[in-house]
Amino acid sequence: MEIKKPAVAGTLESSDLMVTVEPGSNGIELAISSSVMNQYGRQIKNTVLETLDRLEVRQAKVTVVDKGALDCTIKARVECAVFRSCDQSQKNIPWGGAIV
Amino acid sequence: MAVSAVSQQDRRGVARIRALLERVGITLDAHLDYTCAIYDDEGEPIATGSAFGPTLRCFAVDPDHQGEGLLNEIISHLMDYQAGRGMTHLFVYTKPASARFFCDLGFYEIARVPGSLVFLENRRRGFSDYLAALSRTARPGSACAIVMNANPFTLGHRYLIEQAAASFDTVHLFLLSEDAGPIPARVRLELARRGTADLAGVVCHESGDYLISKATFPSYFLKNEDTVIRAQAALDTAIFAKIAQALGVTCRVVGEEPTSHVTGIYNEIMAKTLPQHGVACRIIPRKALPDGRVISASQVRQAIHDDRLGDVADMLPDTTLSYFRSAESEQVRAAIRREEDVIHY
Repeated sequence: MEIKKPAVAGTLESSDLMVTVEPGSNGIELAISSSVMNQYGRQIKNTVLETLDRLEVRQAKVTVVDKGALDCTIKARVECAVFRSCDQSQKNIPWGGAIV
Repeated sequence: MAVSAVSQQDRRGVARIRALLERVGITLDAHLDYTCAIYDDEGEPIATGSAFGPTLRCFAVDPDHQGEGLLNEIISHLMDYQAGRGMTHLFVYTKPASARFFCDLGFYEIARVPGSLVFLENRRRGFSDYLAALSRTARPGSACAIVMNANPFTLGHRYLIEQAAASFDTVHLFLLSEDAGPIPARVRLELARRGTADLAGVVCHESGDYLISKATFPSYFLKNEDTVIRAQAALDTAIFAKIAQALGVTCRVVGEEPTSHVTGIYNEIMAKTLPQHGVACRIIPRKALPDGRVISASQVRQAIHDDRLGDVADMLPDTTLSYFRSAESEQVRAAIRREEDVIHY
């Protein structure tokens, strides 16, 4: 999928995260800040990158501000931000899948 | 807890927000686009935050409700609101004591005025990327910088640049990127480029998000109290000092400003604080015409407004004059004529 416009999903409340995606031209540029960076930073990064890969996002600036979210929350917020950024959120979304 | 918008027309509601802010020592800004709050069971506000342009500001959490994560909810709500109107590059002003809360919420410090305020953005490499891009335009030899609105470019601006170029190898010329009047930024930049094309040492830049923008220095564009202007001018000076460092600039050259109140204060703050950052500040007196009139861009705008461009022809370089005489500038001239007050306060 192509990131067409900036989009945000999630909140900054505890156990959640806020994901911002913006159009990019330099591959995936990912910036993460997390309240549990030392313990789970690598895992958060992997989950975000896997989700983006499954959605076939190749070019994007992605900012993640994590407040200790579980993996399922991270996936859901990343998917939501990506779908919003390409106006898919009004349509029938194959949550957990890729859009062809 | 639900976050709700506070209507600017709701005077009682706004008064209660103001009281909450004052309890933690903050004044409600005069210019805000949007204010939101969280209320307790009795309907009293216990947390609040506001937005103006790309900035988030005027935060307070009732001392009895601190440590409940209310600020996070307010920020989430404001970021949603900002994203909804297409703004994702956001800035925060806050007291130095509160800056750490924002660092936990994905904001990164750009600059601070010790004891007064800290300025942050939500991009980790936002400001450092901007500095890196600028430093690629640095040239060997001595360098100074001028920041101008050039609204529009006059012989006064040209004189200031010539004075600077006489003592420095390179003059980094920053044109304000913010559209704050009838003459659009791209026209101001283009006229400055044309007006300095023959000067080899001049490098033109757009000032971007960080230098005298609506984010860093809103009171440059909108009337405000002197204390607010001073704080924002000091912040702008701190940001400029970092830009100067990236470019190898050792001196800021400014034009004397006897008529504009806000620029007058700005110059005074720069003269006082730039040397503390290791940058000299040189104020150049205005150039007067042989008949004693002082060259001034607001006089030029007034003349265009009154359709008597000929009266100020001797204040303008040929490049600016021919632009305003050509069909190319028809829309801009029409916009100036529509403007009621063309003088910068």
